[in-house]
Amino acid sequence: MRPTLPLLLILAALAIPARAAGLGDERVLGEPLSAAQAAALPPDALVTRGRDLFLAKFTSLDGAGRPAATGAIVPTAAQPDVLPLFFRTAGADSNACRGCHNDPEPGGAGEFVANAFVSEGFQDADFDTVDPQFSNERGTPALHGSGLVELLAREMTRDLRAQRRAAAARARTEGRDVTVDLSSKGVSFGALTVGADGFVDLSALDGVDQDLIVRPFSQKGVFVSLRQFTVNALNAHHGMQAAERFGARYTDADDFDGDGVSNELAEGDVTALVAFQATLPVPAQAGDLGRDTFESLGCGACHVPALPLESAVFTEPNPFNPAGNLRAAEAPVVALPLDVSGLRRDDRGRVLVPLFSDLKRHRIADAERPHYANELLSQRFVDRDIFLTPRLWGVGGTAPYGHRGDLTTLHEAIVHHGGEATESRRAYEALAEPDRRRVIAFLQSLRFGGSAP
Amino acid sequence: MRGLLTFGLSCLLAAPAAALEAPHYADDTAGSGIHHVYDGGWEYFVGGGLATLDCDSDGRPDLYMAGGTNPATLYRNTSTVGGPLTFQALADPVTDLTDVIGAYPLDVDNDGHQDLMVLRVGENHLLRGRGGCTFEKANDAWAFDGGTAWSTAFTARWGDGDAWPTIAVGNYVDRNAPGAPFGTCHDNRLWHPAPAGGGFAQPQVLAPGYCSLSALFSDWNRDGVPDLRLTNDRQYYRGGQEQLWRVPANGPATAFTRRDGWRKLTIWGMGIASHDVNDDGYPDYFLTSMGDNKLRVLTKGAARPSYGDEAGQRGMTAHRPYTGGSVQPSTAWHSEFVDVNNDGFMDLFIAKGNVEAMPDFAADDPNNLLLGHPDGRFTEVAPQAGIVTFAKARGASLADFNLDGLPDLVVVNRKVPAEVWRNVGRGTAQAPIPMGNWLHLKLRQDGANRDAVGAWVEVRIGTRTLRHEVTVGGGHASGRSGWLHFGTGVAERARVRVQWPGGEWGPWIRLYTNQFALITRGQEHARVWLPPED
Repeated sequence: MRPTLPLLLILAALAIPARAAGLGDERVLGEPLSAAQAAALPPDALVTRGRDLFLAKFTSLDGAGRPAATGAIVPTAAQPDVLPLFFRTAGADSNACRGCHNDPEPGGAGEFVANAFVSEGFQDADFDTVDPQFSNERGTPALHGSGLVELLAREMTRDLRAQRRAAAARARTEGRDVTVDLSSKGVSFGALTVGADGFVDLSALDGVDQDLIVRPFSQKGVFVSLRQFTVNALNAHHGMQAAERFGARYTDADDFDGDGVSNELAEGDVTALVAFQATLPVPAQAGDLGRDTFESLGCGACHVPALPLESAVFTEPNPFNPAGNLRAAEAPVVALPLDVSGLRRDDRGRVLVPLFSDLKRHRIADAERPHYANELLSQRFVDRDIFLTPRLWGVGGTAPYGHRGDLTTLHEAIVHHGGEATESRRAYEALAEPDRRRVIAFLQSLRFGGSAP
Repeated sequence: MRGLLTFGLSCLLAAPAAALEAPHYADDTAGSGIHHVYDGGWEYFVGGGLATLDCDSDGRPDLYMAGGTNPATLYRNTSTVGGPLTFQALADPVTDLTDVIGAYPLDVDNDGHQDLMVLRVGENHLLRGRGGCTFEKANDAWAFDGGTAWSTAFTARWGDGDAWPTIAVGNYVDRNAPGAPFGTCHDNRLWHPAPAGGGFAQPQVLAPGYCSLSALFSDWNRDGVPDLRLTNDRQYYRGGQEQLWRVPANGPATAFTRRDGWRKLTIWGMGIASHDVNDDGYPDYFLTSMGDNKLRVLTKGAARPSYGDEAGQRGMTAHRPYTGGSVQPSTAWHSEFVDVNNDGFMDLFIAKGNVEAMPDFAADDPNNLLLGHPDGRFTEVAPQAGIVTFAKARGASLADFNLDGLPDLVVVNRKVPAEVWRNVGRGTAQAPIPMGNWLHLKLRQDGANRDAVGAWVEVRIGTRTLRHEVTVGGGHASGRSGWLHFGTGVAERARVRVQWPGGEWGPWIRLYTNQFALITRGQEHARVWLPPED
């Protein structure tokens, strides 16, 4: 039997090792994987390759470090060799993804020592990242279940944009202003008004960006996709520059960071990293003890226990990726069915994703409780006291808490809630001690693997 | 089996080319609805321009194309978002004029409708836009004497506080002068607003004229007062040169001289494109010519209009065809800076074509698409873009006709049909693929000068600032109003601010890219605009 071309592609892709394997070879990266090759790989093989890359401790021979580039998400040149190859604040600050995402397993959260310094990083890499006006310190979140999270956000974006599109069509047809309430999966994102001329009043938007893209990643909710976050982090933390953003197409250079290594990470390898993260298992819920008290406080208004998902097939790339991240029309689509076997479904057959978040941004600090506004830099158009509702699934096993990872107990994390959460926090504070403990016990039960502490 | 696997691997591992990418253009001419030829005798060796304007306020750029001895034609844009470029010709005696050289859009009377200055061999027409792509001749109502000259250049500005624009018309050869055409350049005209408002005052003569083929009011030294740059055709003048006129709000205009720091330059000046190429905060000027295109940059600061040339060092001379076999010099006409691949680095289109049959210049002379690089160089990518033809191009327009964020291209040719090119990014006509992120911006202010001509827009992405001066004029007989396009590369967000006419800076406004937005003077936020299909 003669092999068919698809079979050849698969065989060829399988033959490409993720890790270098030569005797005495100190590279950890093997041959690069193109986007087409990634699409040709069986899902399990792609995820395995992604896991290998997630665990890999990149070396200078792979391109680790960025002597002539900053950690900015937009390719930005730095004066070469001013900083050492690794630098705890300005980065590169790690040579492996699991260096921080390791608790309780690769892809998990990180302890306070694994905090990262995030900044726009556009100019002086040294100064910007140690001055709090230019840098914020962030804890390491767990990545489990993030494939489902991204799918939820995509569906929400589609819903909001469809509502906007319908309003615009009505406004043009009827020749008048049309106001539409924006909501998806039971979460309200405010309203917008479209004029007959197509111009939009966005002043009543709530918790979502002006382009109506629900961005579910980072503690500020400013990244569209695992891919965008991955490309950012590879550069910022490891100095590993993905060709799709730092390569010749946008920088006119195949070694933008000047470390002597060209095209450090190929599109298919980024896809593999995304595949690994997207398929990390969903944190489970152990029991219902204290759940009724948790719900009675109104916490679930933002920490929505579950959002319904139409399709659990993760496709890569994300259709809403901006340029600089592989986009939908640029490569064959990779489809990864996610394991949702342990999750309930609603009466419409939708998977109920128990993330305990509304994937929306809220004001969470005020003068009475300012802790969550404990930084000076407003990041990527999001004010200092506004954050994405953190997902609570797995929270029982991912201490410390807060976006800076500087709260050691769940109780502390709760009592620092201000802003829009003031009422719920006060209700919690008004509880008798045994009832408070029931709430804490419920949160502790939200763990990887579902076992209670 | 092993051989096949090796073959498969070698295909899969083929390394991508390392360079900025040129966009691909699909030839939509046949189905575009535009069947248009610019033609005529020697008066129409020059000209062949087009105006790009939104004449029905639907957000899509429409076209008004000069025809020479053929009637000019107004085309309504009927393209769908991201779809093929389609237009509908609109017949109307007011716009179906013959003897048209080119046209420029602007809102003369501040009524929110784009008006048209139509340059002709003979009387120029000022057409008042009435909405819905209808126009009426307004020469009499606005006290504009269209004259009888052979007009080839136009530009406009609004003086500080003026309710009406100051306009300038550049003229070519005075055909009635003894000894024409050599040494008989017509003088030029300048109109200030009438003191009583509602029209223009008596014109001022700008003499000597040196056969201007393009004019541009531009604030070359950022003093808040745009001055008048004229590029002139040495073919016919005697003792002439390029010109820069100081145009005060009151009193006569005066040409900058050597004493002021102005250096003599003689070229076959055909067109002007402006952009801050060297990123010093001041506009630079690309002047098209015959074999010696120039990039004029300030050399002694803003105090003196002393310009040197950087075309050579930046790879922008485009002085000879890059394909077709001819080693003779090129003839360049319209040029325009536009970031065609949205990488955040400005690119340059140049229309090319022999005047008619000049034997010393290339007969097969394809248009240029020069890709701007981060290091300031420009390189030719027209072949990769797929836009190479050997038609005699004249005017052109690079605008996003199908509102997909990628600048498309329409070229008016002499004697052969105009070309309509759809930018399909990294893809094909059947499957376009976007390139880079982008912003389309419009400016608005109350009262006079609604479109904020003279404003400067700054778009901040990362450590870089993209600048754009809002002007009316330049090019070769071709002008464009409407959306201002900014490619932002991989930047997903941008901060935008405007220095409004009169010098006032607006606030930094936060915008997500891949959107259309209106910035209104005095407002803290932009208003996003949705194309009809979105």
